[in-house]
Amino acid sequence: MTGLLAQFDSQHDLLRAVSRLRAQQVDIQTYTPVPLADSPTGSPLPLIALAAGLLGAAAGFGMQVYAVMIAYPQDIGGRPAFSWPSFVPIGFEIGALCAVLTAFFGFCVINRLPKLYEPIDECLAMRHALRDGWIVAVRTRDPELRGRVRELFLELGAHRIEDIPS
Amino acid sequence: MSAVIDNVADIALRRRSGRWWSAFAVSGALLVLLIGATGWLFYRGVGIWGIDWPVSWGFAIINYVWWIGIASGGTFISALFFLMETDWRTSVSRIAETMTVFAAACAGIFPILHLGRPWLFYWLFPARNTMTLWPQFRSPLLWDFFAILAYVTASVLFWYFGAIPDLAALRDRASSRRRQIIYGIFAMGFRGSGTQWRHYRAVYGTFAAIMAPLVVSVHSIVGLDFAGASTVGWHSTEFPPFFVFGALLSGLAMVLLLLLPLRWMLKLDELITSRHFDVLSRLLLMSSWLVGYAYVMDVFNVYYSGNPAEIAVFQTKLHGAYAPVYWATIVFNLLLPQLLWSARLRVNPFLIGMVSVGVIYGMWCERYSIVVMSLRRTDLVSAWGNYHGTLWDYSLLFGSIGLLLAVRYVPVVSMSDAREASEAS
Repeated sequence: MTGLLAQFDSQHDLLRAVSRLRAQQVDIQTYTPVPLADSPTGSPLPLIALAAGLLGAAAGFGMQVYAVMIAYPQDIGGRPAFSWPSFVPIGFEIGALCAVLTAFFGFCVINRLPKLYEPIDECLAMRHALRDGWIVAVRTRDPELRGRVRELFLELGAHRIEDIPS
Repeated sequence: MSAVIDNVADIALRRRSGRWWSAFAVSGALLVLLIGATGWLFYRGVGIWGIDWPVSWGFAIINYVWWIGIASGGTFISALFFLMETDWRTSVSRIAETMTVFAAACAGIFPILHLGRPWLFYWLFPARNTMTLWPQFRSPLLWDFFAILAYVTASVLFWYFGAIPDLAALRDRASSRRRQIIYGIFAMGFRGSGTQWRHYRAVYGTFAAIMAPLVVSVHSIVGLDFAGASTVGWHSTEFPPFFVFGALLSGLAMVLLLLLPLRWMLKLDELITSRHFDVLSRLLLMSSWLVGYAYVMDVFNVYYSGNPAEIAVFQTKLHGAYAPVYWATIVFNLLLPQLLWSARLRVNPFLIGMVSVGVIYGMWCERYSIVVMSLRRTDLVSAWGNYHGTLWDYSLLFGSIGLLLAVRYVPVVSMSDAREASEAS
């Protein structure tokens, strides 16, 4: 046993359980069909994506400048080699592409995805996690704490309580 | 609400009905036509098309511009209206995004087919080569390549990312082992944990914030493909916004056109209501006026310039051999959508379908008139020519529509979004 989870029938019940568990300083993770109403929103990913986008745009712009000024310069009727406005569109597109790819793969890295199996998947409640189940899991190896949490879940009227296998 | 969600999931999981198979037959036949025509094109070359001098851009470019415009509909709805926090987008965003991915795929094949030597398409990349050559970075045609590359990649990722919670829900509901594995792989292990949702929402917002300017840039660059050339009728600063307006119009029309049969075939009346049709119809009406403004500016620029070649091209549009194409553009893109002023007609499925088909056809005519009518009347009268699409041109056009119809193989409504909306209410 590495912990236990409880499935509640509504977001309201789950939030009540979460606040009680937080008060006891227990390490918890929720599994819900939609983001919880009062869930924290901070994530570093938008800023990382912005940085990647700006970096990509600069690199794309730089590549064009390098190509037309250093790698293969051509004098066409004395026109300026550094015709920067014509390098803006490709710079922008490469920047946008970098930002999108960073956001997506950053999401995977930060959440350690893909992770197709976790021991918690053995619990029947997880079949409802993205449909109608409001689940909170407490991961602890301390049997005494598990007992207290179980009592709390029973007191709050959990729909289902399961042990998380190891 | 849970019943509605289950219904949506069932659409993807349940057995195929007779309606499904008949629709499958139509789209399958068109797909076969696309594959056959492409094979013949690769075997014989672009000589099977109607293109020649002076009209060297034909159906391939018309279809490309037409499809990429249609593709914009999903991006505008799911990115722009997400950023504006509109509540009605939830039940239509997935259909719209899916349409975007398929329409962008239709658009993406045509420039490659158009190349003549398609096996050399990688020359568009700044790839190392023995001659140390680089692509022409000052050409809008190359900007277009990068724009499409970024747009298609971002659209596919945005669409997939938006579907991850739904794929995870399908994995949890699937009864057969095979489906559990397939949906499980694509869901990547999304379990709806608090941490996952937190980052998920942040990344979804980031995607929307990038997609909104990206789609505008793509259509501006498509406009520059034309405006960058000194061809009569193309060389105008008006083109970038003009193409964005046209994209919006045809994209919204295609979203409406797909919503109607899907609602009927999949019985989604509870999710896609008359409110959606009303809102989208209003947007269609507005974008019709935007396009109208661009048409008026086009005429104004021609006469304000006083350029005899520009005026001659415009005169042939009005009453030359291809005048019906130009007038079809005006009738279908400007006059027909005016029916949507009536609140009663805005929720009439038959009329919406008719207007949408009309607009999509009208936009194809607009692309035809831009591409063909300008090229066939150059500055030099001795170089004037004519153009007609051949059987193979039409085969590729209709075949690509079969590719779009493949839209039906994926879940059509975002379950997680619908759930979120119902929780909030």
